[in-house]
Amino acid sequence: MNPVQLFRLEEKEARFRSPSFFLRILLLAFFVFTPFLFRSFEVLDVVLKIIIFAALVASYDVILGYTGIVSLGHVLYFGIGCYFVGIFMGKLGWTSYGHLALSFLIAIVISGILSVLIGLFSLRIRAIFFAMVTLAFMEFTFILSSQWRSVTGGDDGISFKLPGILAIDFSFGKILGVEFSGRIISYYLILLLSLFLFLLMLRFVHSPVGRVLQSIRDNEQRSIALGYRTYLFQVIGSSFASCVAAVTGGCFAIWVRYVSPDSSLSVSIMLDVLLMVIVGGMGTLYGGIFGAAFLMVTRAFLPKLQVLIASLLPGIPFAIRLSERWLFYFGLLFIIIVYFFPKGIVGTAQEILARRKRE
Amino acid sequence: MNPSWRRWLPTLIVFAIFLSPFLLISPKTYITLTISGLAMGMLLFLVSSGFSLIFGFLSVLNLAHGALFTWGAYIGFTAFTLINKWTGWGGPNSMILNIVIFLLALIVAGLLVAVLGIITERLVIRPVYGSHLFQIFITVGAMIVMEELIRIVWGPNDEVMPVPFNFMGSWDLFDVVVSKYPLIAIVVGLILYIVIFMILRKTKIGTIVRAGVENPEMVQVMGHNIYRYFTGVFAAGSALAAIGGGMWATFVKSIHPAMGGEIIVFALIVAIIGGLGSMTGSVVGALMVGLSYNYVAYLVPKAALGITMLLLVIILSIRPTGLFPEGT
Amino acid sequence: MEADPVAEPILKVEGIHTFIGKHHILQGVSFAVHPGKVTVLLGRNGAGKSTTLRTIIGLLSPSQGSILLRNRAIHHLKPYEISRLGIGFVPEDRGIFNFLTVEENFRVAMLQEDGKTREMMDTIFEIFPDLKKFWKAKAGNLSGGQKQMLAIARPLVNRNELLLIDEPSKGLAPIVIDHLIDSINKLKEYTVIILVEQNFYMASSLGDDFYLFDDGKTVHQGQMQELIQNEELKKKYLGIAGTN
Repeated sequence: MNPVQLFRLEEKEARFRSPSFFLRILLLAFFVFTPFLFRSFEVLDVVLKIIIFAALVASYDVILGYTGIVSLGHVLYFGIGCYFVGIFMGKLGWTSYGHLALSFLIAIVISGILSVLIGLFSLRIRAIFFAMVTLAFMEFTFILSSQWRSVTGGDDGISFKLPGILAIDFSFGKILGVEFSGRIISYYLILLLSLFLFLLMLRFVHSPVGRVLQSIRDNEQRSIALGYRTYLFQVIGSSFASCVAAVTGGCFAIWVRYVSPDSSLSVSIMLDVLLMVIVGGMGTLYGGIFGAAFLMVTRAFLPKLQVLIASLLPGIPFAIRLSERWLFYFGLLFIIIVYFFPKGIVGTAQEILARRKRE
Repeated sequence: MNPSWRRWLPTLIVFAIFLSPFLLISPKTYITLTISGLAMGMLLFLVSSGFSLIFGFLSVLNLAHGALFTWGAYIGFTAFTLINKWTGWGGPNSMILNIVIFLLALIVAGLLVAVLGIITERLVIRPVYGSHLFQIFITVGAMIVMEELIRIVWGPNDEVMPVPFNFMGSWDLFDVVVSKYPLIAIVVGLILYIVIFMILRKTKIGTIVRAGVENPEMVQVMGHNIYRYFTGVFAAGSALAAIGGGMWATFVKSIHPAMGGEIIVFALIVAIIGGLGSMTGSVVGALMVGLSYNYVAYLVPKAALGITMLLLVIILSIRPTGLFPEGT
Repeated sequence: MEADPVAEPILKVEGIHTFIGKHHILQGVSFAVHPGKVTVLLGRNGAGKSTTLRTIIGLLSPSQGSILLRNRAIHHLKPYEISRLGIGFVPEDRGIFNFLTVEENFRVAMLQEDGKTREMMDTIFEIFPDLKKFWKAKAGNLSGGQKQMLAIARPLVNRNELLLIDEPSKGLAPIVIDHLIDSINKLKEYTVIILVEQNFYMASSLGDDFYLFDDGKTVHQGQMQELIQNEELKKKYLGIAGTN
């Protein structure tokens, strides 16, 4: 066996023995048993959003952390996924499992093609332009979807129902005390899909293509010197990530049964993804889980905390507003995190562990 | 360097945009649209030039630039309201007093936001010099903080922006109805552009800044404290954004905390089209976008944003780095 | 001519170590520069000569060692402070501002605009007449040789005591190099020059003292006359074989 094969074999074995492996199994078990552990719908909602966004952020990390390209329009593909499900189920009324699957497929294909086009067009110019061009494209699509009422339902969006076992009113009966409604079934479907996507991304990142991408990120000149058409690889990497994003978008649409420009294409979602990837850590797909959890949990529970604090303060508008805008504190916290943990929480943790291993 | 016909390209495009609508629009409407197009162009120039200059000189991507724009609008709003309350200059008085209070409000906004810019540069930007990625991250955080601060201080609702009395309405020139404010905006914008141009071309500081856009390291080696210049340019860029904000608010007659986010995409496109780091580029790009947007908005309302994206795509295909090089 | 043992060196570089990132580029550089002489730093590509100049002018910070300008420590100062103390720098890529005119290039360089500066400008015009001819032209439109002249002339306007020049002959035709050597020779009376060169012809025409660099260390020093005769040293550290 040549050295590279030996190295890969060692890596694979190490993966199963490391302590973090058990941690990951535990995490998976947590997600699987959440409907049983928590009966409140709100918690289920937060957990599922964590799952979906973890996958989305991981796909973004493939571009940002592994390929090293800054894109500010990644949510565009998420939105495409959302909208195709929404349009097929809602506007066109094609509600059958087949059509659901078809909508996913078309969203994937279109995302892939679009990202190839955008990549070919703008990856050849300075990297920073790519960031701004992608942002501009996403904004453009946002405005397009809010104006093209006949197809996208405009600002109001599209509400729709899902077929068969995914419909809200469907019930499978009780298992271990939990009503297996369409909601719960959707939950497991999305969990399954997201798990699949995550494993797919892991595979991709550790595959030969993925390794070339990392080499491009680390030292583009060297990769070119080694004979790789770097920008072609970058286009491949970003297209793969875009297709994954499209699937997560479809999942999101399935869960909320509603799609609108604000909920699927807005810059604020892109900002959320950005925040999550920073907090979690770039170049570590798992960071997405942590980042998503951090953001979703704070978003769900900070407002409650703020209501509590507001009730304790006297009625001065300024003081009330000061406590009301939890996003303000989040922004401050975020800046602090970027300062002290430039590798994100997971990234820094990985680094500390790696350092300990060396000693 | 470039074949000569390529050097004329930007001018050609501007002329094409200027003249082509003649075929489709009646002369009177054309004048109205051109004026609002030029006004919008001037305002876009103010916002994007700050961003472009900061990127060209400091090599910093400041995504919080839109928030500075919003701050300018809000401070302008408060300044105008306060001054008007004390002096009444904004009401049905002479045009001169109206202009004075308008300019005062803008100057106050510009100065205060320049200070805000200096604080931001020192605290937030300095630590991330050299890494565009982290600049994106940290300026996004700064943008959130700044926007939220506005919501805390002024409240989260839309406010109506007061307009000086004599700015409202229109004049009747040669049988053409011309809105007053856009014309004023064009004049103010033009004056500011000339001032900036003069500073950059004729003064020593301006020359050093232009040199720094090309090669900041060399400027340091020649004995100039480049960090002070960084702060100065950042402050100037912020002030420009603020003035743009104040004027934009008067244009649309309302302000809301998220207005920065809406304008930043346009400003970015203008900066890219014109060429990052080029003042001339910002002007030309802004005029192109402003004019084309207004013409198309009249002809095919829904396609207005599309034309801007189309311009972006066309120009990036011909000149990937934008129309004008850094430092012009 | 023997170096006057009593003359104080203008610049003393002692035991400098410089890192670029993780790379230990300079691993012990020491030399002294005396007034009235042109000191040449020689060595192969990557030996650390340019890095040394950049460390002196403050663009890089040494992790160890000291740099004394007339007995004043400057190794911890910022580039603009060092420059103002009287050191001019001509980098490898010339560092001229292509979009500015020749005049504007000089304006950026001028720290004061007084009578003395005007006198110096006259001297500069005498030595580099082309610069007067192209005064209002964009620097980017000048020829390679003219750009090099501009790069060297620019820092002179402040009557710097020390001038660091990094590989001026790079990319220039032999005739132009001869012209350049003439001009730099005329500069000797106005400023002390530290020259980094790989072109041995140029180095030997201009240099009085030399220091040989290898692997980030100063390994040999002496008078230029000696080096010209010393085939062994030339072959070992400069890769020059046969007679000069």
